[in-house]
Amino acid sequence: MFFHMVLERNMQLHPRYFGPHLHEKLTTKLVKDVEGTCSGKHGFVVAVTKVESIGKGLIREGTGFVTFPVKYQCVVFRPFRGEILEAVVTLVNKMGFFAEAGPVNIFVSNHLIPDDMEFQSGDIPNYTTSDGSVKIQKDSEVRLKIIGVRVDAAEIFCIGTIKDDFLGVINDPDATA
Amino acid sequence: MSAEEEENAAELKIGEEFLKAKCLMNCEVSLILDKKYEQLQNMSDDPLSQTSQVFEKSLQYVKRFSRYKNSETVKQVREVLSRNRLAEFELCVLGNLCPETVEEAIAMVPTIKSKGRFQDDDAIDKMLRDLSLIKKFE
Repeated sequence: MFFHMVLERNMQLHPRYFGPHLHEKLTTKLVKDVEGTCSGKHGFVVAVTKVESIGKGLIREGTGFVTFPVKYQCVVFRPFRGEILEAVVTLVNKMGFFAEAGPVNIFVSNHLIPDDMEFQSGDIPNYTTSDGSVKIQKDSEVRLKIIGVRVDAAEIFCIGTIKDDFLGVINDPDATA
Repeated sequence: MSAEEEENAAELKIGEEFLKAKCLMNCEVSLILDKKYEQLQNMSDDPLSQTSQVFEKSLQYVKRFSRYKNSETVKQVREVLSRNRLAEFELCVLGNLCPETVEEAIAMVPTIKSKGRFQDDDAIDKMLRDLSLIKKFE
């Protein structure tokens, strides 16, 4: 799920930048440091939308660098256990399939794929129902439920299921039950 | 709270910070990221070099999974959903998945049945029908 949040960060700046463009320099540095990163708490920072405030700088003992507390607004993506969302299938194999929802990768194990879907190997590996009416392959759009979220250094990884009601391949305009 | 173990979006247990934060539907994020991308295009010849992979993947994702395309309709959708006493998170899941039946809506957002916010299923049905009307006339 995407959120719009206000986050805070302490930015350190070298004295060479103390001049008329100090705030601009801090903003550029903030965007470079923070956009695209991921934390367990807030998820992925997708984009900084606005710098709300830059506090008074404090000179650090011994180095001359100055620390500024910066408050900024940003769009983050944070998946939650129990959340239901739509994703694109990126890889299918006999263990299950991988799907991508924005910056996050989700793995759905074959144990959490409905029993009436079987793995078919070949040029385009896929999971298909016995009557061939529903197929999951690379680039299919699926609706899944996240059942586990793991944070790894700078990445979030999820496991999901499509075994519950109203989950599975998205067939516009009819919803699959 | 031992975060990872107790967290459960199906029960709206997503932590104080996120419960209070503004939630965004995919269509709203699409408008925000488009604007940002435009700003980057105006400032440099090669906007893609300024964006992270996270940004690009998110942009592709919201463009693909936005049910509503223009900003007027997006505003209407939020307005229709806000008429009911929904939490931000619940509102956005409904706006993203656009369930067609009451049964589906309850499966997607189990918490709408709790706390007596909807007198009965008809109230939920009305909300879903209002939502699908917007899509029809987009």
